[in-house]
Amino acid sequence: MNRARILAVASKEWREILRDRLFFTMAFGVPLLIMLVLGYGLSLDVENIPFAVVDRDRSELSRDYVHQFSDSRYFDLLGYARDERELARLLADSRIRLGLVIPDRFQERLQGDRPVEVQALIDGMFPYRAQTTKGYLAAIHAELNRELLVEFLGRTRGMTPERAAERVAPVRLEQRYLFNQALESDWSMASGLMMLVLMVSPPFLTALGVVREKESGSIYNIYASTVTRGEFILGKLIPYVGVSCFNILVLWWVATRIFGAPFKGDPLFFYLASVVYVICTAGIGLLVSILVRTQVAAVLLTMVITFIPSMLYSGLLVPVESMSREAQLQAHLFPPFWYLQIAWGSFLKGLGWERLWSQTALLAGYAAVLWTLGLSLFHKRPKR
Amino acid sequence: MPLLEVQGFGKRYRGKRAVSGVDFSVERGELFGLIGPDGAGKSSLMKAVAGVLAYEEGRIVAFGVPVDSERNAERVKGRMGFMPQGLGLNLYPELSVEENIDFFARLREVPPAELRERKARLLAMTRLAPFRGRAMKKLSGGMKQKLGLVCTLIHQPELVILDEPTTGVDPLSRRDFWAILAELLNEQGISALVSTAYLDEASRFHRLALMHQGQVLDQGTPEEILSRVPGSVVQFRSRVVAEVVARLRNRFPQVESYGSRVRLFLPGVAPEVASREVTAQLQGVEREELEVLEPELEDAFIQLLEEQSEERGPDLSPTVGSGAPAATFGLGAPATGERETDSRRPDRPRSGRPGQRPEGEEVMIEARELVRDFGRFRAVDRVSFRVRRGEIFGLLGANGAGKTTVIKMLTGLLPPTGGEGRVVGADMRTSSRAIRQRIGYLSQAFSLYRDMTVLENIRLYGGIYGLHGKALKARTAWVLAMAGLGGQEREMAGSLPMGLRQRLALGCALVHRPRVLFLDEPTSGVDPLGRRRFWEILTWLSRSEAVTILITTHYMSEAEHCDRLALMHAGRLVADQPPEALRRELVAEAGELLELEVDRPLAALECLKAHFAGVSLHGNRIHLFARDPEAARRRIGDRLAGAGLELRGLRRRVPGMEDVFVYRMGALEAAA
Repeated sequence: MNRARILAVASKEWREILRDRLFFTMAFGVPLLIMLVLGYGLSLDVENIPFAVVDRDRSELSRDYVHQFSDSRYFDLLGYARDERELARLLADSRIRLGLVIPDRFQERLQGDRPVEVQALIDGMFPYRAQTTKGYLAAIHAELNRELLVEFLGRTRGMTPERAAERVAPVRLEQRYLFNQALESDWSMASGLMMLVLMVSPPFLTALGVVREKESGSIYNIYASTVTRGEFILGKLIPYVGVSCFNILVLWWVATRIFGAPFKGDPLFFYLASVVYVICTAGIGLLVSILVRTQVAAVLLTMVITFIPSMLYSGLLVPVESMSREAQLQAHLFPPFWYLQIAWGSFLKGLGWERLWSQTALLAGYAAVLWTLGLSLFHKRPKR
Repeated sequence: MPLLEVQGFGKRYRGKRAVSGVDFSVERGELFGLIGPDGAGKSSLMKAVAGVLAYEEGRIVAFGVPVDSERNAERVKGRMGFMPQGLGLNLYPELSVEENIDFFARLREVPPAELRERKARLLAMTRLAPFRGRAMKKLSGGMKQKLGLVCTLIHQPELVILDEPTTGVDPLSRRDFWAILAELLNEQGISALVSTAYLDEASRFHRLALMHQGQVLDQGTPEEILSRVPGSVVQFRSRVVAEVVARLRNRFPQVESYGSRVRLFLPGVAPEVASREVTAQLQGVEREELEVLEPELEDAFIQLLEEQSEERGPDLSPTVGSGAPAATFGLGAPATGERETDSRRPDRPRSGRPGQRPEGEEVMIEARELVRDFGRFRAVDRVSFRVRRGEIFGLLGANGAGKTTVIKMLTGLLPPTGGEGRVVGADMRTSSRAIRQRIGYLSQAFSLYRDMTVLENIRLYGGIYGLHGKALKARTAWVLAMAGLGGQEREMAGSLPMGLRQRLALGCALVHRPRVLFLDEPTSGVDPLGRRRFWEILTWLSRSEAVTILITTHYMSEAEHCDRLALMHAGRLVADQPPEALRRELVAEAGELLELEVDRPLAALECLKAHFAGVSLHGNRIHLFARDPEAARRRIGDRLAGAGLELRGLRRRVPGMEDVFVYRMGALEAAA
């Protein structure tokens, strides 16, 4: 290893990053952009579900019933519909996701202690949202029924409301959310997106950086000179890894400041673990650059092998535990799975080195394998 | 022991043979050339020598080390410099001239003190010193090429390998390049392996190998190669060129016409006999200025190709002579299936005598003060010219001179910033479909569909122009006959050799019988034989079919085929005249072109430089201009004798279009 030659390659590369507007944007702009776009767009909270009501009763009680929904942050009353047909039209146009039909004599029957049937029409097009809507509905109804029962017991048995409430629900559930008390999906999404951005951006930069030279022919300057392949790869990748190391800080700032995610862990540990992760993912880019010859191919391949694992197999959207056995096995093979544990552990759980060292070590091992492979597959005297 | 020795070299790509059985060697201090068209295998060979490409067959030994593994290749790379193909493509566009040089130097660990000294010297020599700080992407083609050379030489290699360093560069920069290379080779005693697609550069080399389709056809000094293909060239003028060519072709296959000139190569025939034989064939034909010349390398190359291609099937055999009667192609009116009463073309010209350029003065293409700016860059600067019916009009210039931009403006693909372009009297930007139907356009890039067969391509183009049924069938047959593609209808367009592919593309551009044809570098990368065939078709189209042709090329030797030539440089028109007039003007202004044979060419070059115009080195010979050849012979002899040098031979040469171009541009630069 000759330091002067590594430095020659690295400083040339660095100048190109700074001067080539496209590359500069890709190095510093794109990671930020992915973070912001996905951070704002990929919210999994189901709130403000638009709904409409057909109220055949038009009584005080039916209005109260509708208020149970419109007052919560989960539902958003669009208005009253004339009949079911109008409701169906609104649902078909996706103007509402939920339609409620309150029958006539709603108030009269309830006050006469007789059961009533309310119809709920839920848009089931997107099952996740429909399931959540159903959950909210059930919770609101359970509460309503409990209140009615408490009122009934007070009226017929002369119980105090407190006593009646205890009798109605003898087993009470006391639940508390850990790590993300308010269940802010932004918190976990922002820290999780660091995993995604750092999985995608470094390979893109390294792969394009090398393949660009292959495409233009300037790689022959390297092939034809006495620079060793190790020197070339190191010199070539140092600037890109450096840029990514800087991006870790930017992304961390965005996650905590813009998305308001708390950071409870050890900053130094998290930074170092992130650097290991970046070195590892840059290695993926190195491998891609050896396999392909054109920039278009490099972009496509990198896209496929970085986006899919980080979106689907990392645990960001779907918990890995809920996957099939095969998918779980796959998930464990990709670095994002491990880094997501580090990110969430550091941000939300306040964990540090002692709990997350094994994941970090795994990433380091992964990086070593990728780089060794890249180094041994890179040839200065290729077959074509 | 030679510096570089190649024995039985062969290279395959995915099982397909690209090069085979190549032997040659390069001695210390030698300038060795590899000459051949695209796909000849030059690049593979050079990469293998530079140790940047693995190969399967044969042996390459450089500096006594076999270049047969990555490890061994590393051992010799420090002593070699390699410049890959593509103008400035191996340089870094965002870096300045100096930063580029510094990068190469640091890569090669040149000590700072040496770097400073060498850089200053090379920058001065290449006249790049004033542009040290300029970003490489803002350099002209010629400057990029020189910077590439400086970067390749900065570590003082003993052997430089330059892959097509002159392709697409203007002739003046090319001359410059050869001069610099010769000087460096001489000063530092380095050797060079250089490839080129231009046959007229052959004289620059000490020794060379002619390559074609992965094989070496012949090698040696230019003189040796010429001596192995003996024969004579007969050249004369005639007013009935086409008739003459038609008559001569039966006996002499190597006949070519350039405007009003006819040129024949008679292999193996002595000069006196040649003159007699040709004269005998020309009984009763008016002709003038018949002269017998020595054959040139291009004649030898084509002869070698002809010998080799005899077994290559019928594709090249139906010769389309410039004077071949129209019936050769089944082009007579009935066969085309298109009625002569076609209302869109009531004025279809029927030239009375085949081969005579119709004297129609009708202007078919006109450019008036055309200007085109790209941002702050002026790509085309007030260009005006007129092309008359049936004329072949050549637009010559280097890459980036503005040729393609002119064509795009004339064909309405690009709106001009200023001025006006008219074709068949109409502004193409606002013209009707009827007018558009009258032009054909063959773009620089291969415009056919590679994954479609020959027949499918022709039918597609016919369909686009609204041909169907009988008319389409007739035109398809016409295109196949004209391009000599009979029997290959079902082959994929992508699998055809370059020359045939370009002929197919030409056929497709002609399928709707346009009256005006725009051709943008149609012969780039095609072998000399293929280029000759292509030009035969063009000449025939112009003479017999009265098709007006505007063509761009950077092969200066092709320019001779044009009726009129416009030289473009940096967006401007430098000249606009028939080739003969350009040549006459050159001789009148600069004098005759003389070629000297001397014992020590480099010393002679130094000695003569200050006293004569246009002194340049061509291999072991020197070219210069002199007004009075007889007086000059004495002066040259005296000068050389004074320096202790011997003049072994001196002869007059006909200056080529490249000489014209270089002279014009030199005058232009001097005036600026």
